[in-house]
Amino acid sequence: MSSQINSFLAAQATPGATPSPFKGPVDVLNYALTLEHLEATFYRDGLSKFANQDYLNAGLQTSVRDYITQIGTDETAHVDTLTKVIGSLGGTPVKEATYNFGYTNLTGFLKVAAALENTGVAAYTGAAQYLISNDQLLTAALTIHGVEARHAAYLNVVTGTSPFPAAFDAPKTPAEVLKIAGPFIVSG
Amino acid sequence: MLEPHETILAAVFEERDRVMSRRGLLGHSLRLAAGGALALGLAGAPVFDRLTALAQSFTGNIDVLNYALTLEHLEYAFYRDGIGKFQFGNGPFGHSIDTDLAAIRDHEQAHVATLTKVITQLGGTPVKEATYNFGYGSDPKKFLATAQALENTGVRAYDGAGASLKSTDLLTAAGTIVAVEARHASYLNLLNGQIPFPAPFEQPATRAEVLTIAGPFIVSSGTPAAGA
Repeated sequence: MSSQINSFLAAQATPGATPSPFKGPVDVLNYALTLEHLEATFYRDGLSKFANQDYLNAGLQTSVRDYITQIGTDETAHVDTLTKVIGSLGGTPVKEATYNFGYTNLTGFLKVAAALENTGVAAYTGAAQYLISNDQLLTAALTIHGVEARHAAYLNVVTGTSPFPAAFDAPKTPAEVLKIAGPFIVSG
Repeated sequence: MLEPHETILAAVFEERDRVMSRRGLLGHSLRLAAGGALALGLAGAPVFDRLTALAQSFTGNIDVLNYALTLEHLEYAFYRDGIGKFQFGNGPFGHSIDTDLAAIRDHEQAHVATLTKVITQLGGTPVKEATYNFGYGSDPKKFLATAQALENTGVRAYDGAGASLKSTDLLTAAGTIVAVEARHASYLNLLNGQIPFPAPFEQPATRAEVLTIAGPFIVSSGTPAAGA
């Protein structure tokens, strides 16, 4: 796992740790960017591996691949925006890492996609509070959070679960999220 | 003559176009948040230009929550009173639409209950359910299209109001709700044959914009509207 993840987890484990695991807004945005890089790369890879025929072979219409393509485009837009915003705040945006997502076929890819999006929603829900001191950044984060939820709902439908399993979408702490995402990150 | 749900969707897109053209006339005028160091002309998320208007809409946390509750009442009543009128059968990927709509109804009911409780705990007076006319008659397509418009507008409402919540607990709670509204919107877009995620970023709306969109559904409000 990356050193950034290790420091996040260490902050959570230390008794008497400060309430926020983040030093400031740039850190929060880099946390989001870490996840967006992961997602953007994930879709890029999956779209290069699975063509329309693979979807048809799995009993899915090719429109699913079209929508997956759009999701990938959305994640790339999130990467680009977060990178720009962090830079404009004088921070150093985290870069794309190297990943191993572990799926071996299209069905596996779609299941991981659903897991990533649902985790992403929980990550943004859990992190929004750490942007409370900055209206602009908070609102910008909310405009991404909603789209991740839309992605998650669609992928749930595609993979056979409820688009909206609960009345309230539970937040996850950064430590919880990075425990889920960490295993996918090989280096970086 | 446009059907009610078409009027609503047209209003949503008209608002977006109006804001875009106004922004072009006035240029970029960004109010810096206290302690912030955001550069002018920040590219990427168009939301930055509209934050002044978003911020001025509310008098405090209770006001924000009652605004949310106004919309949740509307949504819950819409599903509660409507879904028994129709049988939708199965949707994309073999889901039972009726089961899914019943789940949405239950979610909105839970949102109403929770917001009502929180406002009361904070010492506020929760707004009551109003009387509505949703205009879909006996047309199932209109019902689903109106549902789509309501859910998408709900996301815009929460995203426009979130920054006005000055408590981390309330903000997180609002986040747990708006994520579900976005899931509803995604699903209803899909049911209506449209892309579940029409844009890479949500489009927050001001309270005035939202009440312009939702107002026509409200025949008589249970509580006088505040600050519309």
